[in-house]
Amino acid sequence: MSKTSVIYDKFERHSHGQGLKGHATHYCPGCGHGLAHKFLAEAIDALGIQDRTVAISPVGCSVFLYYYFDVGNSQAAHGRAPVVALGHKFANPESVVISYQGDGDLASIGLAETVATAQLGAPITVIFINNAIYGMTGGQMAPTTLMGQSSSTSPSGRNEYNGQPMKMAEMIAGLDGPVYVERVALFDAKQRIKAKKAIQKALKLQVEGRGYSFIEVLAECPTHLKMSPEETEKWVKECMEPVYPLGVKKDLTVEPWFHRNAPCFKGEKILSLTGATTEHPERFCKGFPTALDPSDVSLKLAGSGGDGAQTAAMLIARAAISEGFDATHIPSYGPESRGGTSYADVHVAETEVLNPGSPDPQILLAFNAPSLAKFGPTVRKGGYVIYDSSVVTEAPVLDPSIKVFPVPFTGIATDLGKAVVKNIVALGALQAATNIFPKETFLGAIRVALKDKCALIPLNEEAFAWGIKSVEALDQ
Amino acid sequence: MALKERPKPFLLPDYCKGCGRCLDACAKDCITLSDQINPMTGLVPVELDLTNCNACGMCMDACPEPYGLRPAHEGEIQDFELEDPAKLFGVKPCDAPEPTDIPNEFLPLPRTEPLVIKGTYASAVGAILAGCRHVYGYPITPSTEGAELMAKFLPKLDGTFIQAVSEVAAVNMMYGTAGAGLPTMTFTSSPGFSLMLEGVSYMIGAELPGVFVDVMRGGPGLGNIAPEQSDIKLACHGLGHGNTHAITLAPSTPQEMLDLTILAFELSFKYRNPVILLGDGYLGQMTGKVQLPETMIKPGIPKWAVYGDAMHRKNLISSIFLTESDLEAHNHHLNAKYEAMKVEARAESFLCDDAEVVLIACNTPARTAKGAVQDLRNQGVKAGLFRPITLWPFPVEELKAAIQGAERIVVVEASAGQLEDEVRLALSKAGVRQFPELESVRRMGGVLPQQSEIMTRVLGRKEVIA
Repeated sequence: MSKTSVIYDKFERHSHGQGLKGHATHYCPGCGHGLAHKFLAEAIDALGIQDRTVAISPVGCSVFLYYYFDVGNSQAAHGRAPVVALGHKFANPESVVISYQGDGDLASIGLAETVATAQLGAPITVIFINNAIYGMTGGQMAPTTLMGQSSSTSPSGRNEYNGQPMKMAEMIAGLDGPVYVERVALFDAKQRIKAKKAIQKALKLQVEGRGYSFIEVLAECPTHLKMSPEETEKWVKECMEPVYPLGVKKDLTVEPWFHRNAPCFKGEKILSLTGATTEHPERFCKGFPTALDPSDVSLKLAGSGGDGAQTAAMLIARAAISEGFDATHIPSYGPESRGGTSYADVHVAETEVLNPGSPDPQILLAFNAPSLAKFGPTVRKGGYVIYDSSVVTEAPVLDPSIKVFPVPFTGIATDLGKAVVKNIVALGALQAATNIFPKETFLGAIRVALKDKCALIPLNEEAFAWGIKSVEALDQ
Repeated sequence: MALKERPKPFLLPDYCKGCGRCLDACAKDCITLSDQINPMTGLVPVELDLTNCNACGMCMDACPEPYGLRPAHEGEIQDFELEDPAKLFGVKPCDAPEPTDIPNEFLPLPRTEPLVIKGTYASAVGAILAGCRHVYGYPITPSTEGAELMAKFLPKLDGTFIQAVSEVAAVNMMYGTAGAGLPTMTFTSSPGFSLMLEGVSYMIGAELPGVFVDVMRGGPGLGNIAPEQSDIKLACHGLGHGNTHAITLAPSTPQEMLDLTILAFELSFKYRNPVILLGDGYLGQMTGKVQLPETMIKPGIPKWAVYGDAMHRKNLISSIFLTESDLEAHNHHLNAKYEAMKVEARAESFLCDDAEVVLIACNTPARTAKGAVQDLRNQGVKAGLFRPITLWPFPVEELKAAIQGAERIVVVEASAGQLEDEVRLALSKAGVRQFPELESVRRMGGVLPQQSEIMTRVLGRKEVIA
């Protein structure tokens, strides 16, 4: 067949195009790759997609696909061609991406990538050259080596301890992702015509955005099957075909669906996604709460998952930052997804939080007895301990310099009809006990946090007020 | 009638490998194997006798070689055996245009109030502002929030987030998108980063940009999900096989998670090389104040990309250099790039000018160390902190200046000495032989050094190696 424009006039990348290598492939006599290359090149030419095509070369004999194809070329690591193809396809949805792979690449080392990419179903085209042997590494057993077939790593023939041959076309056709799966061969003129048609159809489905297609090509490797090219053709027909039956394995009629807009680079949209605002929050603090610390206040909030310790910690950090201070919040959890321990280290600093950890906090908010028992003794002299007296019946003995505030977070929240607001009761108690920031600062942070759930604001404001009242009642 | 219009085959024997696939294809028995070995190829080509040829074309269809059996069109030279292949086949390797750079656009953003977000989110927002719309990842604690935020934001920006089948797949999706010339990134954590290293080596070999945010956790093996500075050695000296290096950034605040992610994209395109951003589990989870920049980037397409269009058709993304001299030359080229990257070395020196005790730390332990410096100063000890912001290249000139007057150097780290090794290597390579014995405050297994431990080390001169 005539050389198409998709094959380079001269193979500059093949040993710098020197001598015969400028116009001869690196494949052995009778190798099936050459035919598959020609049919692929013809299909690209026939569809007029040369400029849009990106061919992914695998690892294996066809690693040098890029010597020959005058298209965009990308060479992938062993087994990774289909995911490299996805990376190209999503970068430019208009490109036509071909993942050309051998049996070791596709059905062994890259099996996870092969199956996952097929199931993802994005329109790429996979050309799978199955010659039942490893070519480039020199005749080792392939995942598609036939039972009884000898190779350098199955010298007495593949047996049950080597496992069974992988029937990739059937496996891929069994997935929901692909739209078109066919197994073709090259051993006679009739099969070659079918192979050409299949490859062209697979590419067309991609061009039309209809989906993922997979063409398995039974190919000849005379060198490593240790036969003449003619015998190899016969072997493929008589030995391989019965194990790997030819034909269409899947052919869905699917409307074009793969339409991708150009990515958005609108600043306003990005800022609104991040929640960034140009509005300055109102400030209520007259200055840094130096009564607690000259420059850096250290807090610990501790409870179990669901107590809301992390939300409360976040609100403290937001409140501080809205006042122009620096703040940090580090959460830590037990391994449980629900109900485990939940601790938060919070720092509020006038200019810069140096050390964000709170191993010896000035303020402890404890939501349960174990947390109080664990962290109460770490609180610095002269510090504050505020705990949920609804659940802690017996408080541990702490340094007498520590100011202790038992407040029934849970009881108040339950009375308000929503136990989940106990952390907001706790924040009210924190405000009243320590005066770290004015009430309005906290309320501002709560309102910002609930801006998408405005209906909950009054309840939270009430919870906060009750926290303050409880501490004031204690003072009296 | 149609048959007469079809061309008959011709063959240049030098380009026939004698496989004989055409023999069976010919119904007229026009083709036979020669009985002579071709001296140019050492192979036995076929011979054509076209007396009975009906130009069916089947032989050409059966020939695996692109320049094997070819149609002889009317008027084409028939004495082809004497012709120069350049004349027969053409000389131009490719008629695609010479690609040129499509530059990035810098778009202004209004000045906004600081966000209060965690480190991984800050990094994700940074990536979006740096123009990244293609993120691939695999969930792994403690980095997953970055991927989750991308999965939420990117579809709204017509971008792509794909949860890959594994980290191996994720890094190779990055290889594809980077090969197309676009910014791409992943969020991962230590075991996942290990798995990506094959792909990182390929990206370095193929000179592809990409940003890896590795929120380091405790190891080895599955280890745990708590913070450790466990991958400094991987990032600085173990990026897969071969002669590999990548700029490695070590942020210590959520603000730096954003700023250094943006810088990472810039550097990765500047040098056509991956950039590693090492966070730690605390930093990934830590919420803090994050000021957004006042510009964002709309990326262009570099001239070397394989974008999948006419402009970039002649390009190739590959890390293969089969000829030894080519691969050696490529390594010299990479070495020259690594050398050029040294200008990117960055560090923060905090109160080092008159420091008698210099602490060296990065990531979250650097903040703990900063707290300790303040505390030590309050107690009258002239302490300072040297914080490398790039771990590779190591900011050795800045280090030399910071330790000029130091009587003691204490390396504070959440690892078994990976940072100390970098310090020693950097000083050794810089020819610095005289420096105070390095003292250590080290914790591992997900425990960070505490400020009190640093104080104990400095004031009590006690070993703190838990």
